[in-house]
Amino acid sequence: MSKEERQAQEQQRALREWRRNRFRILACVDGSDESYEGLRYAAEIGRSDECDIILLHVRPFDQGLRTGGLQMSVARENMLEWDIEMPGVECLKKGLELLIEAGHMQKDWEFMASRSEVRGDPVGDNKIEYRSKTGKSIILKLKTAPDAASGILDQYELGPYNVIILGAQHRWQGDLRSLWDAGVTQKVAMLAPCSTLVTRKLGKGKGCLICIDGSEHSLGAARRAAVLAQHAGSPVALISVVLKDEDRKVVGAQVDAAKAAIESMGIPVSEAIVRAGDPVEQIIRVGARYQLIVVSDSGKSRIKRFVVGSVAFKVMGHATNSVLNVR
Amino acid sequence: MTQFSLVRDSLQAHEPASAWSMRLRRRGYQRLLIIRSQINLYYFWETRWFFIAMAVGAVMLSLPLPEGLSRDGMIVLTMSVVATILFVTEPVPLPTVALLMVVGQILLLGLNSTTVAKSLMTDSVLFIMGSLMLAVAVVKQKLDKRIAWMIVRVTGTRTVMVCLGIAVVSGVLASFIGEHTVAAMMLPVGVTLIRLTSEDKKRVRNVAAVLLFSICYGASVAGIGTPSGGARNAIMIGYWRDFFYVPGDPDTQQFLVDYLTWMAYAYPIFLLQLPLVTLILFTTFKPEYKRLSRGVAKLRAQVRAEGPMAPADWMAIFLFFLILLGWIFASEAIGMGTVAIFGAAVFLIAGLVKWEDVNTGVNWGVVLLYAAAISLGVQMKDTGAAQWIAQNFINMLTPIGADHGMGLWAAISILTTGVTNTMSNGAAVAVLGPIVLKVAVVAGESPIFIGFITAVSSAFAYLTVVGTPACTIVFAAGYLKTGDFLRVGWRMVIVSTVLLLIVAATYWPLLGV
Repeated sequence: MSKEERQAQEQQRALREWRRNRFRILACVDGSDESYEGLRYAAEIGRSDECDIILLHVRPFDQGLRTGGLQMSVARENMLEWDIEMPGVECLKKGLELLIEAGHMQKDWEFMASRSEVRGDPVGDNKIEYRSKTGKSIILKLKTAPDAASGILDQYELGPYNVIILGAQHRWQGDLRSLWDAGVTQKVAMLAPCSTLVTRKLGKGKGCLICIDGSEHSLGAARRAAVLAQHAGSPVALISVVLKDEDRKVVGAQVDAAKAAIESMGIPVSEAIVRAGDPVEQIIRVGARYQLIVVSDSGKSRIKRFVVGSVAFKVMGHATNSVLNVR
Repeated sequence: MTQFSLVRDSLQAHEPASAWSMRLRRRGYQRLLIIRSQINLYYFWETRWFFIAMAVGAVMLSLPLPEGLSRDGMIVLTMSVVATILFVTEPVPLPTVALLMVVGQILLLGLNSTTVAKSLMTDSVLFIMGSLMLAVAVVKQKLDKRIAWMIVRVTGTRTVMVCLGIAVVSGVLASFIGEHTVAAMMLPVGVTLIRLTSEDKKRVRNVAAVLLFSICYGASVAGIGTPSGGARNAIMIGYWRDFFYVPGDPDTQQFLVDYLTWMAYAYPIFLLQLPLVTLILFTTFKPEYKRLSRGVAKLRAQVRAEGPMAPADWMAIFLFFLILLGWIFASEAIGMGTVAIFGAAVFLIAGLVKWEDVNTGVNWGVVLLYAAAISLGVQMKDTGAAQWIAQNFINMLTPIGADHGMGLWAAISILTTGVTNTMSNGAAVAVLGPIVLKVAVVAGESPIFIGFITAVSSAFAYLTVVGTPACTIVFAAGYLKTGDFLRVGWRMVIVSTVLLLIVAATYWPLLGV
């Protein structure tokens, strides 16, 4: 390995180390109302100085034959001559305006633009970074990829993120189908190594509802989600669902324990609910009153998820409001 | 109250899973796609059509030969079917299909490599290549603002007049310099007008639709007007020559179709379609604004700032007229392809366009694709595969009485329209050309008529985004939905087909073939 290479690797490591000390939010915008809803949520939790917000838009590669052999870039360049932006850039700009409205950016922020070549596409990836004096940054990124989901996942590998925010898709495939053919949001939610937030426009309620299944893992997730909720300034409620009425007592104790644990952190818990019935159905029904439902999957592999089935994923797919899946 | 840090106590950023595959992944998407095949099933799902096509090919080759078809004919037929599936479904980059066609001819048909290589380059392919280079050169001249100025000065501010003006200008230009060129040039004009009318996309949805469809349908219906309007026209001209022209035989002279002859057949169809485009658009979409006064006024101010025509602009226009004259008068002697590449060379010599722009602006894979498709088309004829399909096609049509005359014309037009809506129109003509020309021979119809019907029908790709280059380019601006194409497209298809058949029955016979 040459000296330059080692140096570059060292730099890369330092950058990643630095990024691990930041709370990085990857908000994917595709121009839909749902995705802007997600951005609004990002603005809510990303107020503090330790947060970076990255806006990402993925557009597909240009397909030459369909345009009769004239590259799409010729048309694009011509549009730019007229000061008209590409649809992707428009989405990102609108997203940035939304953040500015939320009071996220001041005039004195540093501004950087960079562009990287992508094989197979003439325009490549474009990145604009706004950075404040305190080190907080907002990044707009226009990425080119064969499909949106792999673009988002690839972006994750460039720098770890704490949470990926996506607008919900209309159709959520079944467990079996999702093994090979899933929509963008579903695919990212399944494959992302970090927590994912799927946003929907309908959430009119307030506060966040954290689901608990009594496991160590879900308790840890509940604590983390509670911290996030406190930052966003929304009240916290807990829910656990039992299949049979007889178990009510045991589960009730678990919920109370979780409530105590969270309250011992200094975060007030407004409600602790225990319901009986089908977990997915109950969570969705109760959750409709809240702005956000928090679920946690235990990070099962996809094969396992298919065999066991995952409440978390069913809730993500079928809830009527936003769902955060904590990993 | 305790303060928690988001970074430490809230959601965590985990490292991406297992290292070895990730390291490979980072190297780029092309490889990512390959690597993903090892990690999960998405690769197979996304390229499923490739495997299906290959399986279909394998099955066809292992079937016993049908009567009247030679072994070589069967191989070529199989290759065409596989290529068609790949054209429609696009599981792999399309130039890959071209490469496979070349490899297939050598490996499966056992042809000599040099023979196949020679069959790739013909005058039609040169013409396609030259016109694409010219297209980039023309777009780079920045004449769009002057054209926009010209349009709004003549049309005034009524929405319907502006749209008609845009459709007419797009059409007339597209008929000579190709629809993709015009779409790329006029798209900014359309989008600027929309944006100047209202910033809110939802309030100008129908205005956006009529303006943008005026550009892409105006250009689409014009693409058939002259041979230089689109690659498919050159392909059809090439097929006529390859299939029917015998040097030294005066009877076959008519199959050397030149620029003016083509125009005589096809230009009237375009002119008749043009007003219908605006009519259909305005009956389908009801624009929110009857007048575009605000947008037009601002556009005027914007284009006025450009100043008068520069000498370089006049030079570019002059050169293009010379090329046009070359196509009309010199193409019989030196070939249309020669004129096209000569024109491109002159633009480069005059310094009106940079080679770098040409190089990045032309998708060379498309040239390769058309070259391979034409070469396969010629094999279809040589091995008798085209003849066999044509015979069966006619046998199929005989019971419904569509094996001759108007019935056959309509059948071929509908067939072409169906195919062209699923793939690019050039590919549609390349695939269907050999078959329909043989159908004409079997049915005793004029190959010229049938060829024109196919070439013209291939422009009826109004239903889908991928059908014509102009639609794809305009769609990329982000104002239209795929549903819009269906909504207005079916009316366009019906009107265009009826118009074509009327012209074919009444006007073409007057031209005497």
